[in-house]
Amino acid sequence: MDRQELKEMVAQLLLEMDKPQPAKTAGSGDVLPDLTAVDLRGEYLVENPVNGEAFRRLKQKTSARLGLGRAGSRYKTASMLRFRADHAAAQDSVFSLVPPSFAEENGLVAVQTKCRDKEEYLTRPDLGRRFDEPQQAVIREACGKNPRALLVIGDGLSSDAILANAMDCAKAIRQGLKTHGIELGKTLYVQFARVGASDHIGEITGAELVCMLVGERPGLTTSESMSAYITYMPRPGIAESKRTVVSNIHRHGTLALEAGAHIAELMVTMLEKKASGVDLR
Amino acid sequence: MISVGVDLGTSTTQLIFSKLTLANTAPAFTVPRMEILHREILYRSAIHLTPLLGTDTLDAEAIAAILTEEYRLAGMRPETVQTGAVVITGETARKENARAVLEAISHLAGEFVVATAGPALESVLAARGAGAESLAKSMGKRLLHLDIGGGTTNLALLDAEGRIVQTGCLNVGGRLVKLNPDGVVTYVSPTLFGLDTPAVGERATPESLAPLLAQLVAALEEAVGLRPATALLRDRITDQTISTQPPVEALSFSGGVAALLDEKEENWLAYGDLGVLLARAIAASRLFTLPHDLGRETIRATVVGAGNYATELSGSTIFHRHAVFPLHDLPVAPLEKENLADGIRQGLALHGYDVPIALALPRQEALDYDGLTRLAETIADGAKGQGREVPLVVVLEQDMAKALGQALATLVPPEKPLICLDGLYTPPGSYLDLAAPVGGGTALPVVIKTLAFV
Repeated sequence: MDRQELKEMVAQLLLEMDKPQPAKTAGSGDVLPDLTAVDLRGEYLVENPVNGEAFRRLKQKTSARLGLGRAGSRYKTASMLRFRADHAAAQDSVFSLVPPSFAEENGLVAVQTKCRDKEEYLTRPDLGRRFDEPQQAVIREACGKNPRALLVIGDGLSSDAILANAMDCAKAIRQGLKTHGIELGKTLYVQFARVGASDHIGEITGAELVCMLVGERPGLTTSESMSAYITYMPRPGIAESKRTVVSNIHRHGTLALEAGAHIAELMVTMLEKKASGVDLR
Repeated sequence: MISVGVDLGTSTTQLIFSKLTLANTAPAFTVPRMEILHREILYRSAIHLTPLLGTDTLDAEAIAAILTEEYRLAGMRPETVQTGAVVITGETARKENARAVLEAISHLAGEFVVATAGPALESVLAARGAGAESLAKSMGKRLLHLDIGGGTTNLALLDAEGRIVQTGCLNVGGRLVKLNPDGVVTYVSPTLFGLDTPAVGERATPESLAPLLAQLVAALEEAVGLRPATALLRDRITDQTISTQPPVEALSFSGGVAALLDEKEENWLAYGDLGVLLARAIAASRLFTLPHDLGRETIRATVVGAGNYATELSGSTIFHRHAVFPLHDLPVAPLEKENLADGIRQGLALHGYDVPIALALPRQEALDYDGLTRLAETIADGAKGQGREVPLVVVLEQDMAKALGQALATLVPPEKPLICLDGLYTPPGSYLDLAAPVGGGTALPVVIKTLAFV
């Protein structure tokens, strides 16, 4: 291609850019369809497949982004946008707060770790495990001395997870413990909570067993996944191996109610065996 | 877990022992999920002719002797067997003393060995034993499995996902006519009415039997949907046939006659019945124009199904208290979403207030805690009339039995036994046997039957 041809081509392109564009996206006032509303498990996007039905059946079993098709060596636009949308949802869930009304509406006692805001929470894990004096007094007052079991809800890294699952799970735990004759006291809600906050709560109250429901770090599959960390005699400095975890509590994983029922029985076993984590065999 | 399967068929009696391996397949740090991970056949008996006294009576003593000997050969004792099924199949189930025979051999079985019969279960077990589920799945086709035995052909229709969606049973089999070594007819089953049957005492030849075989094969072709259904098919149906809409896309075969499909037996009188000729006729029929395959098991499909696949596991987060296992022959009361409490009352009225019944809940919308509490209250209210010492048994498919069980536990009298199981699909009209929990109490072995011998 010589110079002259190149010049002509650029000129042609510039001309086209000057033309008024048909109002396709911007300004029309229409709301674009929500990309994240589509269930990826049912989507198979490869063109002219040998056996698309068989692949679709396999896809039902995984949330992995498979069978997306391609344009040259790259993702198609839809796949690319969906990836970014899911990533944005995950980030939003980390950065957004559980509404202040959550604790009040559900009859929880709200406390806050030493973190002053989300920024500090994300950058200073150590502060997310400790409470200052006034907050310690609130906890002492709410939980009493040496309770057998305490239930704590912590926002952790996903506010979505807490809003979607925590209360159903907590009520099922309370109910399950009741069938074994264990009455839970007040439930704490901890803002800016790391799992280690249970250890400080254990020290403050002298609790024998603490169960913390906490939002998991969101992934690209779901931002609503919650875990339960249950620790026998939690005290600051306790080894992580002494915790029992029930993870993947969400709509597509273990349902919150059923998880709660399971956790309640686990807690009863722990109180009987006086152990949790790898000590619980 | 050691499992036994016994198949008392029209023509043969067989037994297998297998080892079912249970394991928790859930990843660490999640709730447990117990599954039957592995099914290993430890011992296959010889294939015995089913001993008869005359034409309509089973020889209970001879059957017991065969089974006792097979237990000895296998080195098994009844008390080491934890689960399994004795199925009485085909024409045998219609013999006069079928129930008496089951009683006579029940001491050979372990505590949780299920005695059962019924064409629907037989179809399911044969299809599972033959491996039709994985075949349909790997082909990705709508597959009809035909277990062609001595007295009946059991049909099981599977969808492309490998799930059994429908069953049927026809009076088409190799032993509906019996002949002596000279080809003289000694028995003609009454189920062959309306067909070109030979007379007892007549000397038959492959040529003289050809019209009858053509009719039997045509009945199968009609069942598969390769011909429009006529009286030929309708008169052969024992309980029901399968739907051919949408059309069947592939076939698989098991049963004694299927075993002869690829075994070129020259002597048509080798077994003294229609088997060899029927297999030849099937191989030459329209049935073979569809994609088709022999099962992983042929003549042993039903017994392998009984030993390996009769036992299912419930979900792994379940609830039970004060229950004494095993529980046998619980009738299933299917419930509708509307008027749930009334449905429970009707179920209790039908089956009685002092026997345990299985309340089968319909699929629920995603429930929150309050919805769960309301559901538990409705169930407790409906079941109020049931005796205090009678176990309240609730079964459902969705994973919520533990939460529901805990909710129920606070609502029914504290001494009342309570069992709440999920992960189970229970068709209307079925019966449940429940064994003691396995895997540290996390799951119950369950056998879902279509007919109970109480």
